[in-house]
Amino acid sequence: MFALDVRNVTKIYPDFQIKDVSFQLEKGYIMGFIGVNGAGKTTTIKSILNMIQVDGGEVCIFGKKVSEHELELKQEIGCAFGDVDFYSRSKIKTLTQITKKFYKNWNDETYYSYIKRFKLDENKKVAELSTGMKVKYSLALALSHGAKLLVLDEPTSGLDPVSRDDLLDIFQELIVGGEISILFSTHITSDLEKCADFITFIDNGRIVASSEKNEFMESYRLLSGSEGRLSEVKEQLISYKTNSFGFTGLIHAKDFDPTSNLEAVTPSLEEIMIYFAKRGDSHV
Amino acid sequence: MYNLVMKDLKLGVNPWFFALPLFTGVLMLIPGWIYFLVPLYFCWLTVPNVFGGFKSQNDLMFSMMMPVTKRDIVKARIIVVVILELMHLFVAMIFSFFTFRLYPDMTYYFFAPHLGFWGLCFMMLAIFNIILLSMYYKTAYKYGAATTASTAAAMLFAGAVQWAGIESPWLNDIFYGAGADNTALQLSILIAGMVIFIAFALIVYRIAIRRFHKVEIL
Repeated sequence: MFALDVRNVTKIYPDFQIKDVSFQLEKGYIMGFIGVNGAGKTTTIKSILNMIQVDGGEVCIFGKKVSEHELELKQEIGCAFGDVDFYSRSKIKTLTQITKKFYKNWNDETYYSYIKRFKLDENKKVAELSTGMKVKYSLALALSHGAKLLVLDEPTSGLDPVSRDDLLDIFQELIVGGEISILFSTHITSDLEKCADFITFIDNGRIVASSEKNEFMESYRLLSGSEGRLSEVKEQLISYKTNSFGFTGLIHAKDFDPTSNLEAVTPSLEEIMIYFAKRGDSHV
Repeated sequence: MYNLVMKDLKLGVNPWFFALPLFTGVLMLIPGWIYFLVPLYFCWLTVPNVFGGFKSQNDLMFSMMMPVTKRDIVKARIIVVVILELMHLFVAMIFSFFTFRLYPDMTYYFFAPHLGFWGLCFMMLAIFNIILLSMYYKTAYKYGAATTASTAAAMLFAGAVQWAGIESPWLNDIFYGAGADNTALQLSILIAGMVIFIAFALIVYRIAIRRFHKVEIL
């Protein structure tokens, strides 16, 4: 059974759409959900959480349709939106007292263990917390009500490298037992290279690929060569850049002829994202 | 739903707005005043401030993240508005008993705070609610136009009914003449006002749910 199963989700806005978005997250894994700003990550996440009405498709969590079992499933989901604050002038303990009443499986002992571990001061107001601390507080709330699926929208955006690393370590610790699964959207791809098991890449509202991280990266090649040789592969390239030394371009591994003498390396997630975005630009 | 009401009362509504009914209630002691203004302070002060707070504190997103239905969110919000309105009216009614004792021989140009007057106040707030909440739940966060339109409607109702109370012999008799001392008549106007208040709250609950189901949480 998948922790999260998104099938053909479509949402059409007048000037933007996500179309046939499908991907699956297995239990006990971290999936990185990547794409440039405006690619459709947040729209997809809000579809998963039933915050927007989709025009097609369905989302299942632990085998149950979100549209039919929203209340029950929300008891098992923890979510955090990196850039959104709630009741920021209220003290953490006030917010916790209110929040815990909504959850059947709330565990005070777990909550206080995370508060201690994350070094959160309950008497501080939300506005007084650093961005990293806010994410940790969201995680403490989610984990204290026994959330089995964490849906995190840009949780590391705005964090310094040390805080990001700290958070990534926490994510990896959380999935060790195999019970908790994490969907983690970000445009900071280096975070995912450190901790994600799977990658789902969305570009311009469509899923480009959703697979195991290394398999995903290995399915592309970053080619470089002199400008004169560009014409040999130009048609197969997803996009390319030229400079005084020649060209660099991204190609599907299946389209690449290894017998050609072009230099080919496995691209990073960031490079894949950049070249896909560049393709989008050239289409405009 | 209960948890959502408690969330609004503890987090969403500033404690000052629970104290405000006492301060507006005291205005009932002004001899011969336009007493319709007392519940109108709820429309002028409490609603825009409280709804502005909900918007600035991202209450909608917060509520949607909790394991609750959209139906519960609407129901809880209407209950909170009604609780605050009832506080304003009941505190003002208590002060109005002292008004009659303090000024037994007062000549009222505007409505005296008899039971029937409070029935009219319930009707005024019923109109206020149906416009406010039905407009508000088109977006569940924009409150400016909704508060302006609903407050204007409530004031128009108050102005029109006060004018009719002075000009219409029939209404004048009910509120200024023999009817003013007819407890059964006054009580029946109060009950009619309460029934309209409840009926309008139930109607707007249905409208608001239908509208809120279409709202996208952005």
